[in-house]
This record gives sequence, C-alpha cells and structure tokens, in this order.
Amino acid sequence: MVLTFVEIGISKEEALEALQVVRQECHGDATRTAGGSGATRKCTALELLEEEQAQGFIITFCSALDNILGGGVQLTKITEICGAPGVGKTQLCMQLAVDVQIPECFGGVAGEAVFIDTEGSFMVDRVVEIATACVRHCQLIAEAHQEEDNLKALETFSLESILSHIYYFRCRDYVELLAQVYLLPDFLSEHSKVRLVVVDGIAFPFRHDFEDLSLRTRLLNGLAQQLIIIANDHKSAVVLTNQMTTRIGQSQSTLVPALGESWGHAATVRLIFHWDNSQRLATLYKSPSQKESTIPYHITSHGFRDVQPPAVTQNAEDTEMNPRKRPRREEEK
Amino acid sequence: MAAKKLRRARLSEELCERLSRYQITTCQDFLCLSLLELMKVTGQSYYDVQKLLCKVSRACAPKMQTAYEMKLRKSVNPSSAFLSTTLHSLDKVLHGGVPCGSLTEITSPPGCGKTQFCIMVSVLATLPVSMGGLDGAVIYIDTESAFSAERLIEIAGSRFPTYFDSDEKLFCMTSSVHLYRELTCGAVLNRIMSLEEEIISKKVKLIIIDSVASVVRKEFDTKLQGNLAERSNFLARGASVLKYLAEEFSIPVILTNQITTSLSNGLAIQADLVSPADDLSLSEGASGSGKRESGYVTAALGNTWSHSVNTRLILQYHDLLTRELLVAKSPVAPFSSFFYTIEKSGLVLQDGRDQTNLTREGTNPALQTIRVRNTALKDTLLDAALLSIAGETPSNTSNL
Repeated sequence: MVLTFVEIGISKEEALEALQVVRQECHGDATRTAGGSGATRKCTALELLEEEQAQGFIITFCSALDNILGGGVQLTKITEICGAPGVGKTQLCMQLAVDVQIPECFGGVAGEAVFIDTEGSFMVDRVVEIATACVRHCQLIAEAHQEEDNLKALETFSLESILSHIYYFRCRDYVELLAQVYLLPDFLSEHSKVRLVVVDGIAFPFRHDFEDLSLRTRLLNGLAQQLIIIANDHKSAVVLTNQMTTRIGQSQSTLVPALGESWGHAATVRLIFHWDNSQRLATLYKSPSQKESTIPYHITSHGFRDVQPPAVTQNAEDTEMNPRKRPRREEEK
Repeated sequence: MAAKKLRRARLSEELCERLSRYQITTCQDFLCLSLLELMKVTGQSYYDVQKLLCKVSRACAPKMQTAYEMKLRKSVNPSSAFLSTTLHSLDKVLHGGVPCGSLTEITSPPGCGKTQFCIMVSVLATLPVSMGGLDGAVIYIDTESAFSAERLIEIAGSRFPTYFDSDEKLFCMTSSVHLYRELTCGAVLNRIMSLEEEIISKKVKLIIIDSVASVVRKEFDTKLQGNLAERSNFLARGASVLKYLAEEFSIPVILTNQITTSLSNGLAIQADLVSPADDLSLSEGASGSGKRESGYVTAALGNTWSHSVNTRLILQYHDLLTRELLVAKSPVAPFSSFFYTIEKSGLVLQDGRDQTNLTREGTNPALQTIRVRNTALKDTLLDAALLSIAGETPSNTSNL
C-alpha cells in the first residue's frame, strides 16, 4: 500500500501518515464492537520477560516434578499429562486443584479451581485427604516460622474453603464438553479468582462414536484454541489429561498418547507418566523452556509426593514448602 | 443432552426453521459447526453467533457444583455411596466397598471366583440398608451362562442364616435378581442401552455384566485388520453408557473380564493377541527379535478398556486352597492384596494370614501380572512333594 503512494511521488513517512488517517476512519466502528475479544495483545519481549518472571507456578508437592517443570505448573500455559491407566493423572489433577489455593505467603497463587470431569474419576473423599494433608503442611510451616501473615492466612485456608472453591463440572459426552468450554469465559469472568482449569479426560469423549475423524480434529483444535485464549486472558493454568493408545507397528506395538499427531501441538508442556516395573515415572516430553528429563514420584495417602526426601540445595521458593517433609516410608504407614 | 432439540434451547422459531432446512436440529449439530458455517446457516453476524453459541451451550452444559457440596451430599447419605462387600479388610481399603456411580472390574483366570463374587454381591445388594445392602433389585447380564440360582440361595442361606430364615425371604430375594442372557456384542450393547427404564421401574441398585470379555473376544479377532479399532470403539461406547447409568442412578456397576497372554518385550509394549489357552511357543514368532521372551498373563481387552474402568480388582491363584485378591486400580485405595477362599457362604477373607502385602508395590493395572492356575499348582505340588518327603502330609483339597 505504501509503495503505491511512493509511485505518486510522496515520501514513505507521509504515505504512512495518510494511511493512518484513513485507517482511523474505518477502525472507529470495528474497535467499538471488538471490545469483547481482547485476544490480540502486542508487547515486546522485555515486557513478556517481566511478566514471565512475575508469573506464579502451581506447585505439585513433588519437588522433583516442580524442578523439571521450572517451578511447577505454569500459569497461562496448557500442560498436558498423558499416561497409562492408573498411573496417577487424576491424582495429580486433584492435587493441583488443592495446591492452586495455597495462600501467597506459603508460596502459592491463592487461586480457585475449575474441574471438568469427563471420566467420572473425581473422588471427593480423596480430595478431602489431599486437602487435609495440605492444610496440615501449611500449619506446620506457620508454627515453625510464627509469622503473622502465615497465621492470618491459615484462618481462611481450611478444608471447607478449599472444597468450596473447586468448581466441578461433569461432562458426559463431547457435546457437553464443547458447551462447557464455550461458557467457560463467562464463568471465569464471574469467578475471577480461578487460576486453574483442569479437563480430566480430554480424550475419553472423543475416542468413540467418531466416524468422521476430520470433524474430531477440527473440534479438538477449536477446543485447544479456546483453552489457550482462556489461559492467557484469565492468567490461569490449563491442565489436560490424555490417555495412551496402542499403536500397532510392524513387529511390535507401542503406547503413544491418544488423539493423534495433530493434538500433540495443542499443549505447550507435555508430561508423560509411565511405569518402570513398580516405580512411577514422570517424563517431561515437551517444554519451551525446560529440558527433557525423567523423575520418579509417589502417590501416598497425602497425595502426590517425591520418592525420597528432597535434596538440601533448593531455591528460596521451595524451602518455604518443604522443611517438614518426612521420608516416604513413614508417611505411608 | 447432546440430542436436545434446538427448540428447547430457546432459540427463536424462525431460526429453528431456518436451521432445520440445513438439517441442524439438535444442540449437537449446532455445536459441531465452525463459526463461519454458523454464520452462513444462521445468516447472522459474528458477534450474534457468539451469543447464540452461548445460548445453545447453556442448554447442554452440565450444572456446576462445588466439591464442598458434593462432600455434603455424600455425608448426608453415606451408605448410598458404596456397596459393602462384607469382606471387612477390603471394604476398609476401598473406603466402604464397591463404589456407587463408577465401574468396577473383576479380572481373573478361569475358576478363580469371578462369578462367585458376582453372585455374592447380588445377594448383598438385595439386603436392606440396615444390613449394609442397597435394598434394591439386581440386573445380571450373563454372557457365559454361568449363573446358578442354587448357588445364589446357598450363599444367601450360609452367609446370612438369621436373615434368610424363611423360604419367603429367599423367594423375595431371588425374585429381585433379574437375569438376562445375551450372547453377542450387539445384544449386550442393546441391552445396556435399554436398561434405563428397567432401572427405574424395578428399582435396580446394582448392574452386573458377567463377562464382557467373553462376547468381545468371540467377535473381534484382533489379528484381523481394523478389528482392534472396532473393538476399542465398542468397548468405549459400552463403557460410556454404563458410566452414565452408574452416575445418573448412583449405583455400582460390576463387570468381569478375562485374562490374556501378553507377548511383549518389556512393560512398555503390549499386544494382547493370544488367548490364555494357547501355548507360549507363539511368542517366538510374534516378537520378531529372536529372543525367547516368556509371555505373561494379564487382564484382557486392552489398554483403552483399562482406562475406562474406574476400579480394577484382580483375583488370582495363590496355592491349592487360597486365592488372592488384588486392588490393582482404584482412585481411593493404594495397591493392596488379600487372601481368600471360596466356601459355602461365598468368598471368605483369610485375615489371619501373614499380610506382607501392603509393602508390595503395584504396577500398571493394564499390565499387572496375574498368576494362573498352572503356575500356582506347580508350586504347590512341588511344596507338597517336599513336605511329604519331610514326613508331613499335605492338606486335603476343599470343595471349589
């Protein structure tokens, strides 16, 4: 456009000025009605760096996992957890739904959680166990440090408040899931303290009754896009769990994440949970800033935990949470 | 929910008319279209279409409840959250028993006690709430013709002799167990889909399908091209209908599964192509690496099925008399095992035995190794031989 102006003999800067005047006339209408989207933001990398450094993480209580993730589950990003059945995906989701509510003085983000369940594996009793252990943990820290902030925060951080701030939706099929995700932005505007959206079982509703695979791909892509927008606009972490499927190769079959290759692009961070005999392992498979690594973890009656006591050298944020970690064997009994 | 008509979503009449010309009549049709397509069929602007989407979504979206409300509801009615199995240690580990509202799978080699367990639980479900039952009817879908009414009465009489003291009570109990014999996958699926009305009219409180694996494995030969995907499809559909029934009516659903031989090269790879009766010499051909791997026995029906069930209990052989029950997958219970025997009154836990179980770690529930009868017998026969050499006599076998 600028070049055509140059042809008639005016400078590029003058041409730019003219264009801007013209644009303002046209854009007057569009900007008024485009108020709702807010999805296009421009900023410099410097601004983004400041944002990222101030960004909170949702800790998982397994310091090894937090370390390989760079601090924990990151806000404004989509994290996908793939794994074999029974390996602990839902357990981690329930743990995160509790951990997101940890008050800031204990190193948390003091947020609320939305839990969208498609498989029916959410167990309130288990969340009660996890939440009780988390509150107890914070109480021990408060007793040790005796700071007023901590004690005050504990007044509102109780089992009842934790449970009241987990918003649970049970979606029975993919249509309910689509509908719920369409309605999620409005819900999040009303509940602005939500910092975590969990979709437990993004694969399950899409893995049967779909003869038209291209429709499935399109719907999944649409979902992924909407979730990215939600993660960004509301500064929330989005956590999805995926199943594993058997891919038959020439001479052997392997377990790969379900929903196909194109789905692999949807999540920013991908964790794969798997077994090695009787030890559960978590592998960071895809991350823009952390390198690939594998760590062992355990699921105890208190929730998601490390395998051994954490190492002595840790950054400041972690020591806040881990001073009272006892060795695993005792916790189990 | 998906099949809800657009009219009921409170869209205007003329809009519904216009959409039905494009064959868009249900919420499902509407939500599956992209924004551009929606703009085309409704003839409205981008922002109006967004509003329409919200309207239609509101008609199908689930209701929100907080975890706190769920907990309150459970504590108000604690006994309705699970069905006690009367196996005390198992109930304790499972936080009450077989959970209502989710799918529980029992897997085992033949003859370990799956059907016995199912028959026992059928009796329990008909008991009044004061005795730990659900005071309701039972739907028993039998694909192997293994159900025995005589055994039902025997278990009832032996386990609760004081309650079933009259023929009338037994009669009442047997008339609340509804048996359906289905012999094909299609028949089973049709039966499951039509269960909703039965559940309401007969006040059903427990659904048992014994067994899923037998029909599926008869009809789907996973060695053939495409059958694996079809089988997964069928299983996923069945699972989602059953989950819906379980949750909608808050009842437990128990399914039984068989075992298969996994011919694999390490735990990460699984190919359940062979049924347990076949000899393991096939493993040499299938693995292709030339090494002689021993296949091991694990639950059948594949990986997707393992995802679909919420709880998995494995029954396996321990020695001639005792069997072992493993809690392989459960959202509330850690991996645990219990020894039991099968007696006149059904399953009986051997609580006194040396419980070295709780420190044993489990593994991937889809690949958990199961002890089959042959291996168990081999060990015990050897033990018995050693004992007799040492001058002791082996114990006599009890009735199975």
